[in-house]
Amino acid sequence: MTARWRRCRLLISAVGGAAALFCGPVGAVTPPSVPAASNPALARLTAQFKLASHTAKCDPTASSLRPSGPPAVTPGSYMARIKKRGYLIAGVDQTSYHFGYLNPLNGQLEGFDIDMVRAVAAAIFGNPKNRIRFVAISNGQRMWAVRSREVDIVAHTDTINCYRLTRVAFSTVYLVAAQRVLVPLSSSAKSLNNLWGQKVCATAGSTSLSFLADYFGLPAEVSPLVGAPQSIDCLVLLQEGKVAAISTDDTILAALKAQDPETKIIGPPLNSQPYGLAISLKHPDFVRFVNAVLAKMRADGQWAASYRHWIGTRVPAPPPAHYRD
Amino acid sequence: MTAGSAVVLVPHAGAGQRGAVLRRVSGMITPGTTPAKLRLLLVGLLALFVIWGTAAALTVAAHASAAANVVGVSEPLSVDAQQIYRSLSDADATEAAAFLSGGLEPLQLRRRYQDDIARAALRLEVATAAAGNSAAGSRFAALAASLPVYTGLVETARANNRLGLPLGAAYLRQASNLMRATLLPAARDLYTQENGQLAAADRQATGFPYIALVLAVITGSGLLWAQVWLTRSTNRLINPGLLLASIAGLVTLIWLATALSLAAAHLMSARDRGSAPVEALARADIAALRGHADESLTLIDRSGDDSFQKDFLSLQQRLGPGQGTLLTAAANGAQGSPGGRLAASAARTAAGWYAVHKRVRSLDDSGHYSAAVQLAIGSQPGDSGDFFGRLDTELGGAIAADQAAFRTAALAGQSDLAGLETGVIVLSVLMAAGCTWGIFRRLADYQ
Repeated sequence: MTARWRRCRLLISAVGGAAALFCGPVGAVTPPSVPAASNPALARLTAQFKLASHTAKCDPTASSLRPSGPPAVTPGSYMARIKKRGYLIAGVDQTSYHFGYLNPLNGQLEGFDIDMVRAVAAAIFGNPKNRIRFVAISNGQRMWAVRSREVDIVAHTDTINCYRLTRVAFSTVYLVAAQRVLVPLSSSAKSLNNLWGQKVCATAGSTSLSFLADYFGLPAEVSPLVGAPQSIDCLVLLQEGKVAAISTDDTILAALKAQDPETKIIGPPLNSQPYGLAISLKHPDFVRFVNAVLAKMRADGQWAASYRHWIGTRVPAPPPAHYRD
Repeated sequence: MTAGSAVVLVPHAGAGQRGAVLRRVSGMITPGTTPAKLRLLLVGLLALFVIWGTAAALTVAAHASAAANVVGVSEPLSVDAQQIYRSLSDADATEAAAFLSGGLEPLQLRRRYQDDIARAALRLEVATAAAGNSAAGSRFAALAASLPVYTGLVETARANNRLGLPLGAAYLRQASNLMRATLLPAARDLYTQENGQLAAADRQATGFPYIALVLAVITGSGLLWAQVWLTRSTNRLINPGLLLASIAGLVTLIWLATALSLAAAHLMSARDRGSAPVEALARADIAALRGHADESLTLIDRSGDDSFQKDFLSLQQRLGPGQGTLLTAAANGAQGSPGGRLAASAARTAAGWYAVHKRVRSLDDSGHYSAAVQLAIGSQPGDSGDFFGRLDTELGGAIAADQAAFRTAALAGQSDLAGLETGVIVLSVLMAAGCTWGIFRRLADYQ
């Protein structure tokens, strides 16, 4: 991730926000016209890529640590350090409508992910007001932000998978999404299969992009194909006619659709994306604490209230918590 | 003049045969006889006057056209380029600040942005027309073509912003990207180029007229020697014709020297008290604008990536005040110029701005985001926005004052050369006429 990612980051900074729309050659995946199998070199690269991303065998939905009771800031714990510091540092998205976005009307970060962070801060400080330092990061920055411990926690529509579990720790699943496809209303495509040979946009560093690469037999990490830095940038590209479709989690697609009524979501759910809050592997006490907060939210209706407010009025049961220990 | 001397050379040459004319001419210049020597002297002096007159007139023409170029073309284009660069930088900084203040941006920021764009568009149109088909012209045109793309992105961003959609921010980032990666570098190159052109025209207009001076010495000594020789060989003390020619020559020389040195002095003062301080001030002003945009963008970006803040700090280093910094250089350069007082006070304001910026950063770093934003964009006394506003006003005022000073001095320099070219030609003809008349009077003694 580093070299290209660095370049993206530089561009992000050069542009005033994150319009690193141009940090990759094209912000989209172009499926090849030749199937990967007929190209030995490409097939070999694909095999290598699959090996790299799918070696670890695990159950992403049951890989977190069991809380040791209700959330409590125990002396000497990482939570105590956060409390002493005076604020929680959270890595969030500020561009994902309804999940983590800067509401331009009041200048506040809002969304479902932000609610999760506020709940954690509330459990540490009592009142989360002015107790959170938000760091806006892109999809590609999530793993790095946690591993470098520049942030305490990442709430950023982050899919738990086996590869990522070797790099960071995750909370229990707090939402389950599924990858689908967004196209303009005028598009005749019925599913991803109709989009062969056309540009499909996904967020760089996302599981959506890896899935697309797999689906089309293209190695995302070894090929020069890169997604846009933020899912919202994909919508800009779609509106400017530079890509034919966007493929990412249905939750995010619904948020994009809400910003552009001239679009529609097509095709069946392509996979299952369990979201978790990412925390450093070095802070297992904090993982247990956050899981305790989530367990409380599931039980007292806070999770359902947040879901109703941001995602939809037909509130499902919260994803059940499964622990590995 | 040449036709006249030909008549003198062969005064009696009619329609006779060519050989006869040649014999006659060679007879006239038979060495030894005084009339032959007189004729030779006349030819020599007239040739000298033609060369001197032509060289002097050409020198004056070159200086006058360079001065006219400075006043009429280079300086306006340089001012245009500077204004375009400034307006675009200001639009970028203003839009970032407006975005930071929420969906309904303050009216005065919106107006300022609109004024910036209108000014840049107007200047671009004027400059494109003035630059014609030159390389600068096509660059002006390319800038003019990108401007509507930028404003289009900004307006899309605004429309989405008003609906409370983060899509607005995505369009704004794209607009800011276009501005910082394409428009501003092009504007900066153009300004550098136009400034170079101005300096070159300025050098040409104030250059030392070596050739004219050498020719003046040669012509003057020729004329003096001719009069000494005439006095010796004809026993007459004064030849009125040659005296007239000498006086005309002296008048030419004095006029030429006075006008050229006055013009050079005026143009140098225009440069030292006008365009040079303006350039230093403009560089400081644009660096300050970029710093202001960085301050807003750090708050908008919140990416945990401190590159905008790093950029601000490096700009702070470059801006100063302090040894070798832009503001100190501008204040020193502007010392004694009309903008000197404002430039000196800008250096003091900048120090206050940095102090407030530090508070903005510590507020943001400790999680007090709203307070940090308020301090950054607020216009109450003591807010960062207020300090920057004052800095910008002072630098802008100093630039305007020094640009006016430049224009006055450069126009004075141009008017110093008025009528000189015609004067030099008329006086050279007078020298030739006086010389011809004077020598013909001596020749008449021998016929």
